[in-house]
Amino acid sequence: MLRTIVAGLRARTARLVLSSVAIALGVALVTGTLVLGDAIKASVADEFARDARNVDVAVDPNTSHSATERAGLTPAMLDTVRRVPGVAAADGRQSVAVPLVHAGGRAKPALGVAVASDPRLRPYDLVSGRDPERPDEVTVDQRTAAADHIPLGGQLTLLDRRNTPHRFTVVGTYQQGTSRSEAFLADQVVLLPSVLPTLGEGHGYEQIVAVAAPGVDQAQLAARVRSALGAAGVTVRTGAELTQQRLRSVAESAGSFSTFLLVFALVALVVAAMVIYNTFTILLAQRTREIALMRCVGASRPQVFRSVLAEAIAMGLAASGLGLLGGLGLSAALQRAVGALGGTATTVRLPLSGSTVIVGFAVGVLVTVLSAVVPALRATRVPPVTALRALPEGHDEVMRTSRKRIAFVLLLALAGSGLAALGLVAGRDTGMLLTGAGTVALLGAVVAAGPLIVGPINRLLGVIPGALFGVPARLASANATRNPRRTAATTAALMIGVTIVTMITVVANSGKQTVNAEIDKQFPADFTVTSAISDRALPASLVDDLRRTGELRLVAPEYRGYATLDRPGTAGATPGDTFSISGVGTDSLGELLRPTVVAGRLDRLGGDEIALRDTAAREAGLHVGDRVSVRVADLAEDERVDPGRGPATTLRVVAIYHGSGPLASALVDAAAYTRMQPNVAGFDRILVRLRDGVSAANGRDAVERATRAVPIAEIDSAAQTKEELNSEVNKVLALVWALIGLAVVIALFGIANTLTLSVIERTRESALLRALGLTRGQLRLMLLVESVLLGVAGAGLGMLLGSGFAWLLDRSLSTKDEVITFAVPFDQVGVMLLTAVVAAVLAAVLPARRAARTSVVAAMVDA
Amino acid sequence: MSVATPQAAVRTAVTAQDVVKVYGRGETAVRALAGISIGFAAGEFTAIMGPSGSGKSTLMHCLAGLDTVDAGTIHIGRTEITRLADRELTKLRRDRIGFVFQAFNLLPTLTAEQNILLGLELAGRRPHKAWFDQIIDVLGLRDRLRHKPSELSGGQQQRVACARALIAQPDVVFADEPTGNLDSRSGAEVLDFLRMSVKRLGQTVIMVTHDPVAAAYADRVVLLADGTLAGELRQPTRDSVLAALKHLGA
Repeated sequence: MLRTIVAGLRARTARLVLSSVAIALGVALVTGTLVLGDAIKASVADEFARDARNVDVAVDPNTSHSATERAGLTPAMLDTVRRVPGVAAADGRQSVAVPLVHAGGRAKPALGVAVASDPRLRPYDLVSGRDPERPDEVTVDQRTAAADHIPLGGQLTLLDRRNTPHRFTVVGTYQQGTSRSEAFLADQVVLLPSVLPTLGEGHGYEQIVAVAAPGVDQAQLAARVRSALGAAGVTVRTGAELTQQRLRSVAESAGSFSTFLLVFALVALVVAAMVIYNTFTILLAQRTREIALMRCVGASRPQVFRSVLAEAIAMGLAASGLGLLGGLGLSAALQRAVGALGGTATTVRLPLSGSTVIVGFAVGVLVTVLSAVVPALRATRVPPVTALRALPEGHDEVMRTSRKRIAFVLLLALAGSGLAALGLVAGRDTGMLLTGAGTVALLGAVVAAGPLIVGPINRLLGVIPGALFGVPARLASANATRNPRRTAATTAALMIGVTIVTMITVVANSGKQTVNAEIDKQFPADFTVTSAISDRALPASLVDDLRRTGELRLVAPEYRGYATLDRPGTAGATPGDTFSISGVGTDSLGELLRPTVVAGRLDRLGGDEIALRDTAAREAGLHVGDRVSVRVADLAEDERVDPGRGPATTLRVVAIYHGSGPLASALVDAAAYTRMQPNVAGFDRILVRLRDGVSAANGRDAVERATRAVPIAEIDSAAQTKEELNSEVNKVLALVWALIGLAVVIALFGIANTLTLSVIERTRESALLRALGLTRGQLRLMLLVESVLLGVAGAGLGMLLGSGFAWLLDRSLSTKDEVITFAVPFDQVGVMLLTAVVAAVLAAVLPARRAARTSVVAAMVDA
Repeated sequence: MSVATPQAAVRTAVTAQDVVKVYGRGETAVRALAGISIGFAAGEFTAIMGPSGSGKSTLMHCLAGLDTVDAGTIHIGRTEITRLADRELTKLRRDRIGFVFQAFNLLPTLTAEQNILLGLELAGRRPHKAWFDQIIDVLGLRDRLRHKPSELSGGQQQRVACARALIAQPDVVFADEPTGNLDSRSGAEVLDFLRMSVKRLGQTVIMVTHDPVAAAYADRVVLLADGTLAGELRQPTRDSVLAALKHLGA
């Protein structure tokens, strides 16, 4: 038996290779994901290892202790730690947001870090130069130096707390842990500890780390530090504990990304399974007589079954091996891509753990074997007598419209529609789950109905090429429908991938359009000036400068902060939830801010009036006409977390509005805002409207000129906001496209595979056609058209289903207040369809060449 | 034996001159055709016979332009087909040659009628209604036109193949063991039709067969052995064919 299996594998190598590719790609995605997950873990672990290296004792603020959490660790605590016997060196670690002025005079936030007093406690590696030693010296992150073209010895400008520029000399560059720079993508500089407080707001040290003197062990030192500090609001840990705890949190964060990728790997595997199933079905159909002959000479049914499964196992093993290598490549490519995105040459890590290898092989072999079980069972049912019977001409599988299948399809469709309908009625979160489940059931129904519907669909689609190319195209159309089950499986593999891509694309696009429309409606401002540094307000003088600019018709400054909203009387008992609040000029209402009013009126806001966003009103249980006690946080005192300590002011709710995105949860008059919170440093946002007739370019120049003196001013236009939003969405979509793209590629291999096997099956038919006068070109055209028919049927169905599902999801995501417009991005869908056609043509190239090359006489004699 | 006969002098449909066909190379090389020269008269039914390996199928494939020759020339009418490229050969087969094979003559995806008209459609030609009707009626296929091959008997399938071969009124019809897969009654029907198409419709038919009964339907039998001409019979009978074959040692 083994010998026949080996002989069979050898004879069919070429036919098995194509289907192996499908499995290999699926396995590649799985192992690539696992390897990437491990790589991220390793790289983050490396980063934290750098953080924790040489650290023998670490002191962290106790997060449940609000006093230390607010104040951070104090210099006094650091002094205490330094005086503990056995401490060789100790440092307070702290990072402060410092505005770094880039070329063009605009400031962007950067992270300022204090230099370590002892080189052993440096959480980074110096690349060139040295650490700063004087107050006007700075060491910068390698990436920042490269991006801004700052050479060693060059100058760099940082803004101090009053936004006055200070120049520093770059004395060194260093490399951070890769993952941290990737995660934050923020510039980073290292300064003397004494300089940091002049540049930015610090909240004490985030951590105090210490190195033990020789001969002092970690636990011993930790105990001493603990007793020295009195354990008030701090957690003292040994370096080993610190490392352990960090690695745990690393594993969690890397895990979620891997899960996200694994979902796509799963889709790829399902598609690959369909391709394998199809391949085995076709191969075994072609070998019916061979199997019958084996049964004739005495092979038992279990032996036939085992031989087919053995073939599947061999194929699964080979393909998984290939897939494993592919996965390493994929992971390396992804890491490079991420590195390129961040602008650094990241070190590519390829940790191949034993579990990855086992999972890769297990998944590959399991999927292959499971896909082969049904065809193998079918093979055992071949009666031995078939070997003796000449196969009747045109022994194509006659598709019986089995009742069982129809019942199954109807059941699935019914369940799917029911779930989807429920999802439309139910609330947002459960609704989306129900609708999602419904779409999965509906997709299953369409896949199950495949053999019943591919015939009509292909005949319908075949009309166009039939009219264009005549006989070869009509033959192709007939070929595409001659074996409905095979065609259905081939088409379904493609359909699943395209359905998912289309659905995600359409939903994302609908969301994008909805938000874009809302931005247009709610922010008719031509430009928005904000602060590039989140905790620094724009100076009041900027408003005056802008108002003096002739090109501008309206300049509306806005305060932004956080406030608690309480019903009067309950105040003081338990502080209410914190909401974002804006203080706006009455003249900007309706002109520059146009929230959709759901209840009440919002043409103007009086000094004792407040308007609430619908979500906030619901959360706080407030209605129009209610009185509410408002406390606005003093941001200078860092009350963001808990603003409920200031004086309360009672206001009346005059309007509930609906809106999303940049609109705050509560609106009050600007004067009311400053009355409630007099301690404001300046404005947080300035909306600007151009005079009629001023072009966008001229208007921008004017705003640029007026803001030149304020480096932290950042100018946005609505168009730009939309642009940024769209590019964010497109980036996510690109990732999804790339991931699902692999499933689509597998499905296209499936088409190539089916075609190749069909070509082998139809060798005699092709020879007959050639004898009757079909030219080589026409024969190739025939296969090309067949392939395109399969591709377009799969892609087309997928797009229809995907769009339909997206519509369902849009409906279920929409609420009474927030309706998501359904918008199909026809350009992107068009690109997908075109890609499907091109790919289908490519898939047909090899089979077509093979078919056209075969000599007519040889084919007539052999087959 | 003299090749020149009165009929052949009138008009030749197919001529082969010194045709050589070698399979394989070196020591394993087999000369399937070792320099054959032969003519086939128009309006005649010729049977090519010979023992297995005599080269009869190879000769037919070469004559029909399905296979290439290693030396010599072949003419169909005035066209030297041994000089034609694949595309022109294909066109020639489409327009001027009809085929009936032993098996697998029909495309399973097409109906009988579509199979019959396939060659014409490939050439972009329309069938002559009268000619189509005549052929269909003679072959008794009228009520089978909408059927797929899988719904036809072997004899019916072969009759559909005959109809397809004749529909384009080709210069010559090549038949390769057309009765090989049929029972004797169905075989006789097909052979009757081929003879009738020559006698009444003026077609030219060249048939390869190893069956003396089938060969007896022909006007002329050409005998092949080891890739060369080994004899010829006029107005053959089953017994004269058997005798000639016995003489060849088959």
